[in-house]
Amino acid sequence: MAAAAARAWALRGGLALAWRGPRGLAGSAARWQQEDFSSLDEKPQFPGASAEFVDKLDFIKPNVISGIPVYRVMDRQGQIINASEDPQLPQEVVLKLYKSMTLLNTMDRILYESQRQGRISFYMTNYGEEGTHVGSAAALDDTDLVFGQYREAGVLMYRGYPLNLFMSQCYGNSGDPGKGRQMPVHYGCKERNFVTISSPLATQIPQAVGAAYAAKRANSNRAVICYFGEGAASEGDAHAGFNFAATLECPIIFFCRNNGYAISTPTSEQYRGDGIAARGPGYGIMSIRVDGNDVFAVYNATREARRRAVAENQPFLIEAMTYRIGHHSTSDDSSAYRSVDEVNYWDKQDHPISRLRHYMLSRGWWDEEQEKGWRKQSRKKVMEAFEEAERKLKPPVGFIFSDVYQEMPAQLQKQQEALSRHLQAYGEHYPLDHFEQ
Amino acid sequence: MAAAVVASTARWVRVRAGVVEAARLRCQLGGSRFGRLFLLPSAAGDVAQRRHVAHFTFHPDPENRKYVIFGEDVAFGGVFRCTVGLRDKYGKDRVFNTPLCEQGIVGFGIGVAVNGATAIAEIQFADYIFPAFDQIVNEAAKYRYRSGDLFNCGGLTIRAPWGCVGHGALYHSQCPEAFFAHCPGIKIVVPRSPFQAKGLLLSCIEDKNPCIFFEPKILYRAAVEQVPVEPYYIPLSQAEVLQEGSDVTLVAWGTQVHVIREVASMAREKLGVSCEVIDLKTILPWDIDTVCKSVAKTGRLMISHEAPLTGGFASEISSTVQEECFLNLEAPISRVCGYDTPFPHIFETFYIPDKWKCYDALRKMINY
Repeated sequence: MAAAAARAWALRGGLALAWRGPRGLAGSAARWQQEDFSSLDEKPQFPGASAEFVDKLDFIKPNVISGIPVYRVMDRQGQIINASEDPQLPQEVVLKLYKSMTLLNTMDRILYESQRQGRISFYMTNYGEEGTHVGSAAALDDTDLVFGQYREAGVLMYRGYPLNLFMSQCYGNSGDPGKGRQMPVHYGCKERNFVTISSPLATQIPQAVGAAYAAKRANSNRAVICYFGEGAASEGDAHAGFNFAATLECPIIFFCRNNGYAISTPTSEQYRGDGIAARGPGYGIMSIRVDGNDVFAVYNATREARRRAVAENQPFLIEAMTYRIGHHSTSDDSSAYRSVDEVNYWDKQDHPISRLRHYMLSRGWWDEEQEKGWRKQSRKKVMEAFEEAERKLKPPVGFIFSDVYQEMPAQLQKQQEALSRHLQAYGEHYPLDHFEQ
Repeated sequence: MAAAVVASTARWVRVRAGVVEAARLRCQLGGSRFGRLFLLPSAAGDVAQRRHVAHFTFHPDPENRKYVIFGEDVAFGGVFRCTVGLRDKYGKDRVFNTPLCEQGIVGFGIGVAVNGATAIAEIQFADYIFPAFDQIVNEAAKYRYRSGDLFNCGGLTIRAPWGCVGHGALYHSQCPEAFFAHCPGIKIVVPRSPFQAKGLLLSCIEDKNPCIFFEPKILYRAAVEQVPVEPYYIPLSQAEVLQEGSDVTLVAWGTQVHVIREVASMAREKLGVSCEVIDLKTILPWDIDTVCKSVAKTGRLMISHEAPLTGGFASEISSTVQEECFLNLEAPISRVCGYDTPFPHIFETFYIPDKWKCYDALRKMINY
C-alpha cells in the first residue's frame, strides 16, 4: 500500500519536481507534452528511449553472418530475376546508361595513361563502379544537388558534362571552370548541380545535410544526394551527417559505395558490424543494401528513396555493394595488397557494364556491330577532347590570388603585386610560356 | 536584411551587456570585490529588456525568410540567452537545436550556405570549436577558391562565446583566434561592446565570406549600453582609433580593449604619457594600415591579448609592424599576453594580462 502510494507520488508529484532541474519549467515543458505520467503501468518513463522492460540479461548480437540482404534486379548475366522489379526503362534511357558508363570507362583509360606519361599529375579511375554512378544519377531530377567524394564522375557524365571540361580540370588548363586550383578529378559544375569535390573525406556529408535542410525550407522539391565510400563512412563527419539528417528531417539520400577497399584497407579492417547499411537504423534512417553492379537495382532504390525523401522529409541510406577494379589512384599499385585473380573475377564475371550489355542484347537493343561502332566513336571523342586539352595554355598566374574571399583584400593585392614584380625580374626561371598572360 | 523596413521612429533599447563595467570587473578580480557596479544610474532597469545582440540580427528580418540560426541549446534561448524569444517569433524551422556535434554544426552550416540560405551557427564555447576545425579550415575557408567561384559558403557565420570570464578555467576561457588567423578565406571578428557587437555581427552575416564572430562572454552580463533597434553595419577589416595619442600605440580587441583604455588613463596620470588606443575588431583580414600609420606617428607599440604569447596574434601584428615601420620604432614592440600555459582556474587573476602588467610594459617601453 505504502509502495503504491509512493509510486503514485513519484509519478505525479515527485517526478515532476525532479524534472524541473536547473532550467526550471522551461526545460521540462517540452517533456511534459511527450509522456502521460498518469499511468501506473510498469513502463519505462525515460525520456531517452521508449521500450519495454525486460528482466533477463541478454546482449544483442550484432548480426553479421546473416546481415542485411542485397537487393538486385538482374542476375550476373543481365537477366531480370523478378519481372515486377524491372523498372522498364525506355530504350533511350538504357542506351544513355550504357553509353555514359562506357564513355567514362574509355576516358578513364586514356587519362590514366596520360598520367603515366607525365601529361597530368594524378588520376583516379572508376572501374567497376560505373553502375553506382549512372544508376543513381538516372533516378534523380537534374536539379537535385549532388555532393560527391571523388569516385562519382559517372554522375557528371550522365548529366552531360562535356569531355573537354573533364579534361580541362585534369589538365588544370585555361578551360578549367575550377581555375586550375585543384588536383585532377576534383570536378564541380554549377549548372549541373554537382558541388565541387574536395579531398578531405566525408566532409561533404554534413554539408549535404545542411543543403537538404535549406532545400526543404525553400519548398523547392529538390533532393540532395551525398556519395561516399565505406572508408569515409568511418569518419566522424559521417556520424554527424547521419544524426543531423535524421533529427532535422532532411530530404537527403546517403549513397555509400562499398567497394571493398579504402586504398589498401579491406572492409574487414574498416568496420566490424554489418557494413554501412546496418548503421542507418541506429540513427533512425530508412536503409537498404543493393547490388551496386546492377544499374536497375541502383536505379530502383535511388528512385524510391528520392521520392520518399522529398515527400516525407526524411533521409534514406543506400549501401551499394560493388568492387573497385582499378587501383585507388595513379599513386597506388593494388597488387601490393590483393590478388590479380580477385580483381579479374570482378572484371570478367560481375561488371556493371557487361551486365547491362547482356540485358540490352537480350532485348535486341544492341549488337556486336553497334558495340564496335560505339567503341570507335567514344574513343575518337575522348581523343579529340584530349588533344584539345593538351594544346590549351594554363590559366593566368593571377588566379593564385582571386576567390580567396569574394573581394580581394589589400594584403593579397600586395602579395600579387610582389609576385608580379618577382616574375618581371626572375621570369626566365618560371614556365611562363605555358600560362596565359 | 538591410532592405527590411522597421518602425519609423528610432527607439533606443537598453541592452544589458557590458562595456566599461567589464574592465572594472576584470581589473578588480583578486582585489576587493565590488560586485556588479553599473555606471548608468538607472541601470537597474528593465528585466524585460534583457536581450542580447543576437536578437537584433533577426529583429528587422520579417521579409527574408532564408535565415536560420542553430546550434546546441539554441531553441530554448541558449546558455547565454543570446537566442531567447527567437524560436517563438520566427518558428522552429528557423531557430533550432542540433545534436551535440560541433563538426556537424559547422558542416551543416556550410551546406545551408552553399544551397543559398544564410546560416548562423552557434558553437557553445569557443573552447569547443576544435572538432569543427577541419570543416572551417579545409572546407569553409576554401570553398570559393577551390571551386573557381562556382560555389561558396559566404552565407555562413559562426558565433562563439570567447575569452576569460573569471572562473572558466581551461575550457570556458579560451581565445582561439590565432589558430584561425592562419587560414586564408575566413574572416574573424571580435567586438568590444554591445553596440559594436550588433554592428559587427550584422556585417559578418551580410558579408559574402564565411565569418567567425567571437563574443567576449564576460561582456554578456557585465554592464549596460544603449543599442539602436534598427540594423546598422560596422565595417569589417577596419580598426578603430578610440583615443588619439602621440607617445605609444596600444592595440587590443574584445575585452582587452577596456583594459588598455584604463592603462592609457594610468599612463596619462602617472607618467604624463599620451597613448593612442586602437581596437583592432577584425583579426582577419586585419587593418594593417591603421596600426602602421599609428606606429609611424608614435614610434612605440604594445599589443595585448588574453591568449597565450607564443603564436598569438600579437606576433603577427608585431612582425608586420617591424617590417613596415622599422625606422619609426623607438623601442621594441611589446606583447602583453597570457602565459604559455593552458588557462588556469584558481590562478586566473595572475594569468591574465591585467592593467598592471600592461602598465609596467608600457613604462619600460617609454624608458627604453
